[in-house]
Amino acid sequence: MPPKRSAEGSSAPTPTKRQRRGLPAQSAGLDNPQYDVPLSDDEPLEDLDLVSDVGDDASSTDNIAADSLIPRGAKLNLSALARKARQYERGARADLVSHMFGDQDFAYLQLKGDHTSRPLWIDPVDGHIILEGFSPIAEQAQDFLVAISEPVSRPSFIHEYKLTAYSLYAAVSVGLETEDIIEVLNRLSKVPLPENVISYIRSCTMSYGKVKLVLKHNKYFVESTHPEILQTLLRDQEIRSARVVPGSGGAYEVANGANGGKTKKLLHSTETGSGKGSKAGTPAPGSGAATPMQKPGQAEADLFTSVVGVDQDEIEEDDENTVSFQIMDDKIDDVKKRCHDLDFPVLEEYDFRNDTVNANLDIDLKPITVIRPYQEKSLSKMFGNGRARSGIIVLPCGAGKTLVGITAACTIKKSTLVLCTSTVSVMQWKQQFMQWSNITDRQISVFTAEQKEKFSGAAGIVVSTYSMVANTRNRSYESQKMMDFLTSREWGFILLDEVHVVPAQMFRRVVTTIKAHAKLGLTATLVREDNKIDDLNYMIGPKLYEANWMDLAAKGHIANVQCAEVWCPMTPEFYREYLREKPRRRMLLYCMNPNKFQACQFLIDYHERRGDKIIVFSDNVFALEAYAKKLSKPFIHGATAQVERMRVLQNFQHNPVVNTIFLSKVGDTSIDLPEATCLIQISSHFGSRRQEAQRLGRILRAKRRNDEGFNAFFYSLVSKDTQEMYYSTKRQQFLIDQGYAFKVITQLEGLHQMSNLVYKTPSEQIELLQSVLIANESALDFSGSDLMGLQGEQGQKARKSAQKYEAKRAVGSLGALSGAQHMSYIERNKTANRQLAREANSNRHKLFKKRDVAKKQANAG
Amino acid sequence: MKAYKGALLTCDAAVKQILLMMDESEKFIIQDLDDTHLIVQMDQLERVQRMLEVELEKNTYSLDPQ
Repeated sequence: MPPKRSAEGSSAPTPTKRQRRGLPAQSAGLDNPQYDVPLSDDEPLEDLDLVSDVGDDASSTDNIAADSLIPRGAKLNLSALARKARQYERGARADLVSHMFGDQDFAYLQLKGDHTSRPLWIDPVDGHIILEGFSPIAEQAQDFLVAISEPVSRPSFIHEYKLTAYSLYAAVSVGLETEDIIEVLNRLSKVPLPENVISYIRSCTMSYGKVKLVLKHNKYFVESTHPEILQTLLRDQEIRSARVVPGSGGAYEVANGANGGKTKKLLHSTETGSGKGSKAGTPAPGSGAATPMQKPGQAEADLFTSVVGVDQDEIEEDDENTVSFQIMDDKIDDVKKRCHDLDFPVLEEYDFRNDTVNANLDIDLKPITVIRPYQEKSLSKMFGNGRARSGIIVLPCGAGKTLVGITAACTIKKSTLVLCTSTVSVMQWKQQFMQWSNITDRQISVFTAEQKEKFSGAAGIVVSTYSMVANTRNRSYESQKMMDFLTSREWGFILLDEVHVVPAQMFRRVVTTIKAHAKLGLTATLVREDNKIDDLNYMIGPKLYEANWMDLAAKGHIANVQCAEVWCPMTPEFYREYLREKPRRRMLLYCMNPNKFQACQFLIDYHERRGDKIIVFSDNVFALEAYAKKLSKPFIHGATAQVERMRVLQNFQHNPVVNTIFLSKVGDTSIDLPEATCLIQISSHFGSRRQEAQRLGRILRAKRRNDEGFNAFFYSLVSKDTQEMYYSTKRQQFLIDQGYAFKVITQLEGLHQMSNLVYKTPSEQIELLQSVLIANESALDFSGSDLMGLQGEQGQKARKSAQKYEAKRAVGSLGALSGAQHMSYIERNKTANRQLAREANSNRHKLFKKRDVAKKQANAG
Repeated sequence: MKAYKGALLTCDAAVKQILLMMDESEKFIIQDLDDTHLIVQMDQLERVQRMLEVELEKNTYSLDPQ
């Protein structure tokens, strides 16, 4: 409902109400904020126009109707709020809540007159943008915000975005103009754009694109049309040290002759290229599905398309005097980072259409391949101006990241190197390439520990793993030869799958040793528990696109998931030990909590009856085996032989009897099981947000996702009052930011009615406890092969500790070791009589006798 | 004959275990009744409540690392 109308209507009743309340008469003049605000404000004129437009639209009949529909309270509230803002301005902080916000109190910001029809709030301090997701123009605003800023959190109604230097660079590189950004932001914002945000946007967008990093003849050059900028850069110690000084020793070489000629040619061809690019900015070769990115229709739509869409060559290449200096290959990272620190971020673009040096690869998507709209959108960000831009595309698990990568490779049509995390995914990538594109078996090769092959012909695709390429230890003769082959040539395109692993020290070198014109990183979870994710910005490039999980789920591209956290109370015996144990064994205790066991059994039982296929995840192998054996379900962990794995997985997929499998960390990523519809997590890797998201990804691609009313289920079993509660909340943060809501289940209805419930009696529970307490130290660890999945420091630490503890002997009391710590006496063959007698006795302490009697009497009376 | 002034504490099983552990370092429990009930010394009550609060807070994740 337009606010304008209600405000006009409300001017009469409001003062009367206020007088009744006995408020000072002086404030009566402020009761209609809609008129004051635009006039007192130094807003741009167009905003004023907009206000009056809305006012004119509102016919008088509408006015009355609207008036009668609005509850009295709502109107009063509106004006009261404005009044408060006024009072605040005068320095009289009379309202009740301001003090709670401290520095975050922005009540002094003037709302624009028609603020209810504008969807954005902008934080004047740190440039965070809050979007009202329920606004009618939210979708367009979202497209715009994704282009200029990074999403922080996107639950269903309120979204948060953040303006960063990188995101603004990305915006400029897709052809947005500084003034357009500011204008559109101002148009969408409820409050006038804060001065410092404007200057931030200006400063970030102005310096961008002045310096370029180019790869020529297998050497890296920093290039610019402004000699003075290069001189500034060279004055920096770090950059100077990275420079390769040519024999003659000039400060910089002026590129003329052959080089200048090339620049000229480049310039000419980009003009034609851009014409082409603006016509069909969609990089969907072969498919022919060149749908426009946004359909005009709204009044402001043309502005949006001009802003979000692709057009114009923003780089001034009119100067033939391009100057450049060469830098050492291994210093690329440092130079890029340094340049960014100096506010001259380097631009990395690859004009692949005009690259005649590197051979073309004949590759196209098969005609049957269909690209989904969001995949197309993400690629249009990459190939926005007809050139390939390095960067990262973030899509949820199961949303077709592979196809995005393949399409990108088909667009560039040069030699491509694909790096992924495991041998299994190497095979998947190869298979996917064969499936979606017309590439032949001879043009695509894999480089793994088992297979080392080269493609035939001048150009082709190599698929390998990070660890193969990053390996620094001695290599076999063959792999060394292969490695030389990889490093000796120029790659048109390098695809980095699961790019969030790259910042780990071991993989960083990959990016520098391989010379590629364009880099594309793909990931679902751009988070790390160490703060190295920012490094990706200069190692690979800015985040080009991040899909909204909730949107994709709503459109049926990924499954709808119900997330729940099940709280299982610790049994007193377990909790007693938990409090007294060292942290490492504590973990095992809260995994093996009998109540969790029961909850797990109950959920498996419940979902099997519904016809779901269930995966149970446990990081801890000891717990995994204990659960799986007790509940007699198949399981897979690091030590499971390949043959057995395949057998178990195949049974899970095709055998209607096997509906549940237990997986350790090995199943977090590479195993693809579209049958699974329910996921239970019993133990996890501390507070790793990435793991949580990756696990959720296992059920996002559920085959049945398009059935009507289908929901996948994701349960996290958590032992109450333990450290696990802390980790669990932390782990969920990423998914919460994507808009998922976790329900908390404190009690499972019908759990205790289950007939064959495990660990029902205290004595069974104590037996379980004993087995946990005497469990070998190695049981506390993650299984050896699973450690590969860990990242960076944490992984190394875990690996180290695994080595350290392998041979350690534990000191324990004889009582504990013999299992007698918690009972002085245990009878194996109890007579049922005695059991009955004990139960009768163990009722209530005699202190409560009086209470009970009183209660009984009260009941009787 | 000795008389203590005590308070009857009703808590859940896990909290009782925490209290029992706290009791090991400094005695305050007069009588352990059953899984969910304890009698503690009256004059220690406040201190115990405070310590318990700290203990339970350890397992709570908050967004601001303070």
